[in-house]
Amino acid sequence: MAAAGALAAYGGVVADTLARAGSAASILAPVAGLGVVALVLALAWDGRGLAAALWLGGGAYLAFVVDRGHRIDATAPLVAVLLLLSGELTAWSLDERWRMRAEPALAWRRGLAVAALALVGLTAATVVLALSAAPADHGLAWTVAGAAAAVAAAGTGIWVARR
Amino acid sequence: MTGFISPRLPLYASIAAAGLVAGLALGRVEPVALAAPFVLALVAAVAGREPRVAVRLSLDRERAVEGDEITATIELSSEHTVDRFELLVPLPPGLTVEKGRAQALRLRGGEERTLELTLRCERWGAFAVGPLLVRARDALGLRSWEGEACVAQMLRVYPSEETLRSLVAPLETQVFAGNQVSRARAEGIEFADLREWQPGDRVRRVNWRATALRGSLWVNEQYPERNTDVVLFLDTFAEVRAQGRSTNDRAVRAAATLARGYLQRKDRVGLVGFGGFISWLLPETGMRQLYAIVDTLLTSDIVHSYALRDVDVLPPRTLPPKALVLAITPLLDDRTGKALLDLRARGYDLIVVEVSPLELLEPDPAAAARLSHRLWRLSREALRWRYEQVGVPVVTWRDGVPLAASLEEVNAFRHLARPA
Repeated sequence: MAAAGALAAYGGVVADTLARAGSAASILAPVAGLGVVALVLALAWDGRGLAAALWLGGGAYLAFVVDRGHRIDATAPLVAVLLLLSGELTAWSLDERWRMRAEPALAWRRGLAVAALALVGLTAATVVLALSAAPADHGLAWTVAGAAAAVAAAGTGIWVARR
Repeated sequence: MTGFISPRLPLYASIAAAGLVAGLALGRVEPVALAAPFVLALVAAVAGREPRVAVRLSLDRERAVEGDEITATIELSSEHTVDRFELLVPLPPGLTVEKGRAQALRLRGGEERTLELTLRCERWGAFAVGPLLVRARDALGLRSWEGEACVAQMLRVYPSEETLRSLVAPLETQVFAGNQVSRARAEGIEFADLREWQPGDRVRRVNWRATALRGSLWVNEQYPERNTDVVLFLDTFAEVRAQGRSTNDRAVRAAATLARGYLQRKDRVGLVGFGGFISWLLPETGMRQLYAIVDTLLTSDIVHSYALRDVDVLPPRTLPPKALVLAITPLLDDRTGKALLDLRARGYDLIVVEVSPLELLEPDPAAAARLSHRLWRLSREALRWRYEQVGVPVVTWRDGVPLAASLEEVNAFRHLARPA
């Protein structure tokens, strides 16, 4: 089930990108197709194609965004979360193949954790997108908020590096 | 415990970094939005901390017999909640577990969990159960900590024994009292014969009825009850193993059975493990000797060696005079064959119990292989014939046949035997 979910999430990214790519779809389709193949290989074997799949899927989407021009693409948070979900569900699918007697509650807890990560990720990406719409000269409050965000990001980076 | 990260973690980190750099380079927000969930995944992974889990393994007993079931109890406790705790019980080949050898569960902080596993003892041996292999993982499986936990528990699985109705009586007995009726005549209970009175004979031994009939004093003669010395000579040079069965397994089972049988009769029993690794136990009597023999048998694995060995390497007291030597061998190695003939030449009362390897060997259908198999069987026949020529009974103990049947063959062979 997790493998089907991973394929569905990745298929969502590819479909969204190609459906709106217009004339660029013929160029992006082989890239996205390679990504699908890499994901299938990752699911069939030991997950080694996952990195290629995520890079190809993300790369195809970015190429579409660049090709699209200066308009902000509102589906970017959804694409990001779908890419993350395809990675997490692939890993979950591979983990489930171990011959191990596991408590049923573990599957529920992992499902909740993945769902929570996806929701928080979607919110964060949406907030990033929404904040970018604010004009640069919108007042002192925005400037302070931006500085605080920069400090928080740097602090998080340092904390991650120290752990 | 040693910490590990999932291969996804560097992947997510590189995607997040690439998204942020692309956002700056292209002056667009979409790459940054694309990176945001991956950054969150990184933060979630890094926020996890190393769990401190206490693991304790115990077995419900330290000794068992082949075929028994043992309950292994695993007690787990953790200071903090562990989202996924996996444990694997590494088992030696002689032990199996029906299910639950690998388990995954959630440990709440401060909670104590107890798991019970039923281990089945498939084969005799001295086994170490544990240490357990454990792994703790965070909720998303992005970080894990692996290691070994708890001290290994020793388990001794004794070989199951055959049922014996009678044992092979030795030709000669020792001087101490026992349960074996001696062939020599002396003070005893069993009536042996009548003879004329001689000076020194006790009056209580006079047979008055025979005396009245014959007109002179006649006395009874008796067979005394004596103990015997038995040496179990286990050939550990080579074995045939197939389909989970081996000649050595059966040889050990036979040795344990015979040791118990003779020790119950108050005989002194010794053990010689003759192979690549030589071991011995001097003949002693009593329950302690039984445990010593069985414990030694548990370690009597086949050790291949090209060293030339004969009985001279054994300490002299290992083979006491007039001892009955019961050799349990698959007759696969020439060195054992020569050593046994040497023992016979030294006057030991020797019996060879051949643990037949033939049931474990399927001859190759190819003509050359069939011919070699036949030649090999003929060479075994020739060896048996050599033993019989020097007065050594050789009985073949086939797989599936009770040991008692083979010993009865020896008893029949030796019914009228006298000391050489």
